[in-house]
Amino acid sequence: MKNIETNKKSFLNRSAWAGLLLVLVAALTLEATSLIQYYYSKKGLVAEATKRAETQLEATRNRVMDVINQTESAVRNSIWIAQWCLDVPDSLSRVCQRIVEGNPVVVGSTVALMPGYSRRYPLYAPYVCQQADTIAIKTLATSEYDYPSQEWFVKPLETDRGYWSEPYVDEGGGEILMTTYSEPIKDKHGRQSAVITGDISLEWLADLTGHIDIYPNAICLMTSRTGQLMMNPAQDLALLQSVAERVEMFRSSEEFKQMQQAMLGGEYGNTVLSAGNVKWFTFYAPVERTGWSMCIVIPEDDIFGSFRKTDRNVKLLQVLGLLMLILILQALARSQIRFNRLNERREKMENELHIASEIQMSMVPKVFPPFPERHDLDIAADIVPAKEVGGDLYDYFIRDEKLFFCLGDVSGKGIPASLVMAVTRSMFRTISAHEDSPSAILSNLNNSLADMNETDMFVTFFLGVLNLSDGHLTYCNAGHNPPMILTDSILNLPVEANLPLGVLKGMDFVEQEIQLHYDDALFLYTDGLSEAENNAHEQFGVYRIEAALHGRKNAFDHLKNMQKHVNDFVGSAPQSDDLTMLFLHYLGDALAQEEHRITLDNKVSQISRLAGFMEEICESSGIGSSLAMSLNLAIEEAVTNVILYAYPNGTHGTVVITATKKDGSLEFIISDSGVPFDPTAAPEPDINASVQERPIGGLGIHLVRTIMDNVSYEYKNGRNILTLTKNI
Amino acid sequence: MEVNISKENQVVTAALVGRLDTPASQEIAPRIESLKNDAAGTIVLDCSQLNYISSSGLRIFLSLRKAASEKGGKVIVRNISNDIRSVFMMTGFLNLFEIQ
Repeated sequence: MKNIETNKKSFLNRSAWAGLLLVLVAALTLEATSLIQYYYSKKGLVAEATKRAETQLEATRNRVMDVINQTESAVRNSIWIAQWCLDVPDSLSRVCQRIVEGNPVVVGSTVALMPGYSRRYPLYAPYVCQQADTIAIKTLATSEYDYPSQEWFVKPLETDRGYWSEPYVDEGGGEILMTTYSEPIKDKHGRQSAVITGDISLEWLADLTGHIDIYPNAICLMTSRTGQLMMNPAQDLALLQSVAERVEMFRSSEEFKQMQQAMLGGEYGNTVLSAGNVKWFTFYAPVERTGWSMCIVIPEDDIFGSFRKTDRNVKLLQVLGLLMLILILQALARSQIRFNRLNERREKMENELHIASEIQMSMVPKVFPPFPERHDLDIAADIVPAKEVGGDLYDYFIRDEKLFFCLGDVSGKGIPASLVMAVTRSMFRTISAHEDSPSAILSNLNNSLADMNETDMFVTFFLGVLNLSDGHLTYCNAGHNPPMILTDSILNLPVEANLPLGVLKGMDFVEQEIQLHYDDALFLYTDGLSEAENNAHEQFGVYRIEAALHGRKNAFDHLKNMQKHVNDFVGSAPQSDDLTMLFLHYLGDALAQEEHRITLDNKVSQISRLAGFMEEICESSGIGSSLAMSLNLAIEEAVTNVILYAYPNGTHGTVVITATKKDGSLEFIISDSGVPFDPTAAPEPDINASVQERPIGGLGIHLVRTIMDNVSYEYKNGRNILTLTKNI
Repeated sequence: MEVNISKENQVVTAALVGRLDTPASQEIAPRIESLKNDAAGTIVLDCSQLNYISSSGLRIFLSLRKAASEKGGKVIVRNISNDIRSVFMMTGFLNLFEIQ
């Protein structure tokens, strides 16, 4: 048991380690695949974000350029008219009006003369602008405004080309973000004489900047050429603030400063900002001609947020899966333990059954030959239990020169059957100890079994009592299959079909008897033998039993031989029932009170021994010398005949002489295993013939016939048996 | 088994002493055979000390008797016991020999 324990533990450890390893491998595999997936997904998401941002940037730029181009065209196209009107300053307002009316994007326009260009007006700048639904005409030539110092006036003249002003908030006209395009105008003499402008509102930029819808928290920023953030003050204040706060946050980041430089330089590009513990993906592009630059900023979470959530869910699922795996492994381990326990229990039970079986087997006599000192009896028996313990039994013992033997089969199998078997066997011994009659023994046994039979078990039983001194067999059968009796032929012993034991109390059992002779035998068996089945479900059957019984062997060899026949027949089919056999070989001389025996070699010189043997017999039988001599003569003649003629020349053989004293007679049996020869068949010699006619031989058998009262010959089981009887 | 042969006045006497059973018959057969040389005369088998005879012994007696018969001699069996006489009777030998 200690070993089993250690094995169990080491097994547990082994399976626990295997389980752990399995979980570990599964976890690593999952993690590896999710890492690869994560890497590629992230790469894809960044590419997606880049594409979206670039598309947005392109769209915004196009929108802006559209307005820019319209404005530039509107202003430029009016330059030539303005040139014409330079000399008539009052008509200039008409030019401006035409620009504003003809171009919806242009909300205001002026033609501002160089100071001193007109003699009539030292400063002249009529300003036409949209106000509500009407066109208003104002003048910028006021002392507070001082237009000649304004950027939009100075820059075009300095550079002699069109110029986009820095965005500014128009304080007069409704707090809107404005920018102005201005072109220099030269007069017919090529002198710089005026600046023509078109103002545009940047209100529409509000749709393009600030929060954009490509990602929930993405923003688009536009900066002027000085790096100033272009924001429309008319926009929602909270929104403006959130954007402004964010930009303020960015300013602390080093990458932002570098990006700003790049944007001011009119470069395209993208970068990742780290600010406020968050990463921001930024994409930027310039807006040509204006010196502006746009950028789109997307917080990392917007790009990876859903993915992170998915990733988290996947991870959660993985962990759940691993937990499940652990649980399954645990359940498996537990069921394995349970299985082991069951196995252990089964082994224990089998062990106990095995012990029970051994105890049971130790109840029946198992030493062969059981009576080595006896020459008149050869007996052997065997039980081959089907599985576990069975309910077959046999037993025998000798009391007062009587052999009590039995064989039975308890209905059912297993421990209950074996208990009944044990009880039956012990009762058989007890009752037979003082009772000689088989029917009385069985009645007793039956009553006891019926009394205690609460499980409705019964026992088929055969009981025999063999008088060893004279071969007289009395027997009683209780529902058992008839034994076989082996004499000259093999037959079923005639039996009465009494009820089995234990069925009905008070039953009478019919007793039977038969005379056994020297060399007769009985074979008892249970239906485990006759009904042994092979794989084709054929039964071994009585005729196969009979066939296996041919030829005389010693009892033990008979059983081995039978067992071999059954095994060969059954093959691999499982044994379904106990198989029990008992072989009884009677070797006593019938009616013998006293037996004498001598065995001689086939040599004439052996006759001398026979004389001593005969003398002894005759002396012990109180036979007178004359008769003794005659008997000696008769036996010598018979034996000499065997010695001289039974065995072929030069071969060795024996002749057995037994002498048995009976009431009123002496019987001699002379047997040999030589060639069959019936001396009694020899013709009588003519003892009255003349000397010349008398044959030399033929006297021996004549003497035998003459001396003995009865002479009979038989050839049986390979032996010549000559029986000579003399009445005394 | 002993056979003592003596010759006196043309009469050869063979005294058989002991048991003339089968082995003994084989043993004395050559001696008896030699008696056949005197088969023309009288051969006396002295059985006073013969206490047993088997058919082999009888056979020797018979073969001697046959030789005497051929040569015109005779065989006298002398002093047989009653037991042996009964054997002779059983076998018809009483008629074949002159029993004295």
